[in-house]
Amino acid sequence: FDKHYRLRLHGMFTESAKRHSSRMNVAKSGYRVFSANSTAACTELAKKITERLGVELGKSVVFQEPNRETRVDVKESVRGQTIFIIQTIPRDVNTAIMELLIMAYALKTSCAKNIIGVIPYFPYSKQCKMRKRGSIVCKLLASMLAKAGLTHIITMDLHQKEIQGFFSFPVDNLRASPFLIQYIQEEIPDYRNAIIVAKSPAAAKRAQSYAERLRLGLAVIHGEAQCAESDMADGRHSPPCVRNTTGHTGLELPLMMAKEKPPITVVGDVGGRIAIIVDDIIDDVGDFVAAAEILKERGAYKIYIMATHGLLSADAPRLIEESAIDEVVVTNTVPHEVQKLQCPKIKTVDVSMILAEAIRRIHNGESMAYLFRNITVDD
Amino acid sequence: MPNIKIFSGSSHPDLSQKIADRLGLELGKVVTKKFSNQETCVEIGESVRGEDVYIVQSGCGEINDNLMELLIMINACKIASASRVTAVIPCFPYARQDKKDKGFFDIPVDNLYAEPAVLKWIKENIPEWKNCIIVSPDAGGAKRVTSIADRLNVDFALIHKERKKANEVDRMVLVGDVTDRVAILVDDMADTCGTICHAADKLISAGATKVYAILTHGIFSGPAISRINNACFEAVVVTNTIPQEEKMKHCSKIQVIDISMILAEAIRRTHNGESVSYLFSHVPL
Repeated sequence: FDKHYRLRLHGMFTESAKRHSSRMNVAKSGYRVFSANSTAACTELAKKITERLGVELGKSVVFQEPNRETRVDVKESVRGQTIFIIQTIPRDVNTAIMELLIMAYALKTSCAKNIIGVIPYFPYSKQCKMRKRGSIVCKLLASMLAKAGLTHIITMDLHQKEIQGFFSFPVDNLRASPFLIQYIQEEIPDYRNAIIVAKSPAAAKRAQSYAERLRLGLAVIHGEAQCAESDMADGRHSPPCVRNTTGHTGLELPLMMAKEKPPITVVGDVGGRIAIIVDDIIDDVGDFVAAAEILKERGAYKIYIMATHGLLSADAPRLIEESAIDEVVVTNTVPHEVQKLQCPKIKTVDVSMILAEAIRRIHNGESMAYLFRNITVDD
Repeated sequence: MPNIKIFSGSSHPDLSQKIADRLGLELGKVVTKKFSNQETCVEIGESVRGEDVYIVQSGCGEINDNLMELLIMINACKIASASRVTAVIPCFPYARQDKKDKGFFDIPVDNLYAEPAVLKWIKENIPEWKNCIIVSPDAGGAKRVTSIADRLNVDFALIHKERKKANEVDRMVLVGDVTDRVAILVDDMADTCGTICHAADKLISAGATKVYAILTHGIFSGPAISRINNACFEAVVVTNTIPQEEKMKHCSKIQVIDISMILAEAIRRTHNGESVSYLFSHVPL
């Protein structure tokens, strides 16, 4: 099963590349690919994608003026063409969003036929639910993108699949799992002795889909991470929870019981195995470090983390370096060269292949179904 | 005043506080912060259901961050059933990029003028104002400058760029006579200050005794501050649409006109359904 799948994955892409390069000479224009990022680190992915497609990146200039306003100048005609804008989201999120909006609007007012945003990591996807008196920023962003002129979006591993519903135009939510699974099979020598771990019950569905495809077992971590300060007499048990039973003022509504968080625990047997934690985003690594601790305690001898989007904010590289984690594998949807320099445990998997293939298929009006062949319902 | 709430974004909390003080209100509770991945997070801290909400956010500093913050705050208020949400944007960002498309909005826009406050400042701070001359640093500002000159009953002049041949650098030509007069340069914004510093040199060499610069929005990015320090201004006066405290520490020539009362009065009048056009020619007390 595995070998055939891997060969087919490779074969599919190389075949298409050969077919396409001859086709490219016949139908010269018809689509252009632009990058709306202003920094070199961010345009790396765009360059890889255009190399695979055999096209040149569209000529444009994106920069910040001294007064911090973003300026976008498109230097070629786009009239009547299908345009793909590749935008990676770096540390400066709001500026990247503004760059994308301005470029999309510039293309719309220059009479581009279709404007397709290729946004591998979609920002603000964690702010997709109502929280007290907050804003559903994801919905706001979706409305803004539509208004700016985007007609279609290609993204990868959306944090919540339901976000697709916020958009008034088609959203192609590609998956990185085939690449991460391939990495596991090729780069982890003893992977058949591994077990897939979900670092919280919320991640169980995704972990399950990996476990199924790799024919491995599953474990789930549950509970509150201990504050393992040295002050604590016994680090294994949190102090007894004081329940809040203050009287309520006349409203006859029943008080909601506070959920008691049990101490952190692993459901499933990881003794003598390699533990592979899978998730969509790795940002603040506190949870991952705590999970690695408990897995080591329960007998796992190696710990890997596979995540699609490696945001790795703040102290993440240092914390990973000092932790029980052996390797962190992320894709190149989010630039993380700086973090890699600080922490050699971080490895990158290139997903430009599938993004380029998606662009090609959309332009040619071909079915995208092949790209989703080996994806389970829960992925 | 019932049913009104004023919130401040993080771009210019000082101005928002002044506005709220003038209206006799407390600023609404709101928490704005950034997650570690630099995404903006906004949480409104009190009920806005059925309220007339005003959000004060200026387009300065980290413009994209402040813009996003403003959009998220507006969105949050709408979702929380505010009856009306008005954005008070003293310095409107990206206004220079689309000179052709200025003012393309689907919603009501009140564009206030700093002119009344500028006139008041001139009369109170420039002793020789009756004999001064108002100068525009480029041809585009002629209308603005003549309006002020007429109200003060003084003369005006303007500087325009003249290009003699294709490869020659533009010359700055002064149209009007400034000999032995106090010259007051007036413009809407000062960004890198290249233009106004050249203009000041031109005016001094043409015989002006003193040169003032009065600009509505003092963006002062890049080499602006050092240019002003090296130029021959008596004073550079800006309004507080953009926070100026930091810059004033580095440049003693900068003075600030407070326009919080104009914004506060506009908010009050909009809330009460009164006419705002009174503010186009008068400074509220």
